[in-house]
Amino acid sequence: MAKDVKPTRKNLMQIEDRIELSERGHDTLEKKRDGLIMEFMDILDQAQDVREDLDDSYQRAQRAINMARAMEGDVAVRGAAAALKEHPELTTESKNIMGVVVPQIESSKVQKSLDERGYGVLGTSARIDEAADAYEELLENIILAAEVETAMKKMLEEIETTKRRVNALEFKLLPELKDNQEYIEQKLEEQEREEIFRMKKIKAKKEKEEKEAREAEQDAAEAATAD
Amino acid sequence: MSTATDNESPNYEYVTARVRSRRAVLFDDDDYRKLVRMAPGEIARFMEETEYEAEMDALGSRHSGVNLIEYALNRNLAKHFDDLLRWSEGTLYDYIVRYLRKFDAWNVKTVLRGLYSDADRESIEDDLIDAGEFSEEQLDALLAVDSIEGVVEELSSTIFGDALAPAYEDYEETGVLIPLENAVDRTFFETLLAGLPEEPNRATELYVEFLHAEIDFRNVRNALRLARTGADIEPSEYFIDGGRLFDEDDLRQLVGNRDQLVEHVRSSPYGDDLDAALDILEDADDLIQFEHALDAALLEYADKLSNRYPLSVCPVLSYVLAKEREVDNIRAIARGREAGLSEDEIEDELVIL
Repeated sequence: MAKDVKPTRKNLMQIEDRIELSERGHDTLEKKRDGLIMEFMDILDQAQDVREDLDDSYQRAQRAINMARAMEGDVAVRGAAAALKEHPELTTESKNIMGVVVPQIESSKVQKSLDERGYGVLGTSARIDEAADAYEELLENIILAAEVETAMKKMLEEIETTKRRVNALEFKLLPELKDNQEYIEQKLEEQEREEIFRMKKIKAKKEKEEKEAREAEQDAAEAATAD
Repeated sequence: MSTATDNESPNYEYVTARVRSRRAVLFDDDDYRKLVRMAPGEIARFMEETEYEAEMDALGSRHSGVNLIEYALNRNLAKHFDDLLRWSEGTLYDYIVRYLRKFDAWNVKTVLRGLYSDADRESIEDDLIDAGEFSEEQLDALLAVDSIEGVVEELSSTIFGDALAPAYEDYEETGVLIPLENAVDRTFFETLLAGLPEEPNRATELYVEFLHAEIDFRNVRNALRLARTGADIEPSEYFIDGGRLFDEDDLRQLVGNRDQLVEHVRSSPYGDDLDAALDILEDADDLIQFEHALDAALLEYADKLSNRYPLSVCPVLSYVLAKEREVDNIRAIARGREAGLSEDEIEDELVIL
């Protein structure tokens, strides 16, 4: 609050420095926010595509497994699924987008060939292959969606934080600092005016006293001459 | 279940007459058309008024929905095939039982898969189809076992025993079921053609012709699956010996080139029968529809053989295929409706002659 600040020149200089710094920070954060929003829009487009692919592949996978269960029976599908020995592996790394650390997920052993799936070729049919293919594709899309959507969420959080910082600078800190600056300037001006007034008063008093002294001296001289 | 002895003469007349009457009650196009438009509940009610009534009633208290339909279908299938074995005598029994051992193979694989995936005894039992040569006691003994090693030991005195023992060593090494499953399937196909007379009569010739077709079609199917994925698997892993279409070396070469593979099938004695199926494969690259076309072609081939020689095992095998197809079709309709597939999508999955 402006009233809490001591209206001194030193404080005024400090506040002016802080205003300059805050304005520079505000500009930088605004640029960061705009940059993040642009990056976010790119990721959003990508996320929408990935989500659509994910929905499609989920529908395809569900259809394929339903057809496999219908044609081959539940037990054959469960048996083929349980036969898998080499499970997919995921490794996560991170990359930096405008200061935001987002994950980069690398997958391996998701898409498998017929000989890597663990079930025998003799006792199964193309239905099972189709269901396995569809689920492998679904898993790939889930991994991609996890990467893109996590990046999107992190970008969104960073945009929110940056926006809050910009707003705090723009609507809270800078106005307060400017109020303080104005308050101190007014106070200093007032003090200056008071000082000038006081000086003037002193000067006038001094002049009056000098005048009175001169007049007294004059009167005394005149009296001496008359004697 | 009866057992045949070598000195009994085959009773083709009796069995084929009974099979003809059984075949007459199989669902026809109209029934499928009705079923495709029904919800799973309606399908169950429809089945209660048909051939499947007894099984639906018997299983109704334990299961519901599409599971009830599936288990009733399996039990009905088992009952019918058990009847075939009960009626038949002599070499006819031998030929039928060889073919129905595919259900023994199925049951062994189901128990193995169930144990491998830690399923409980009840759910494994629900999935068994008691239509093969194994007696109920043998199946109970298999279900009572709680390890894969125990299953292999339990089967040591059956036809699967010799093949399962070395396959179990592979299983222990690799930890995957493929060696065991392949050993079971391979034993089934090997025993189909083993020990047949060296100078067969016409009936046996037709039987062998049918089995060759089944093995060839299975090999074509698997070769095309491999050609599609590009997986590098030794033919010994998936090739079934005994067909006329390929030997192992042919297959090793053809699997790498799908066009050559298709051309090889087209120029084979099955070319005419599979012409339409191969066109589907070449035009749409749709392996599922090709498999349906193969199934239809096999059904038609069995019908053709049974018409050419009505007093042989062929009408019985043709009935076995038709009954299996009926069960597959009804299950596909019920599961398809449950999964919300459209009528057109379900119709695409049916194989109707």
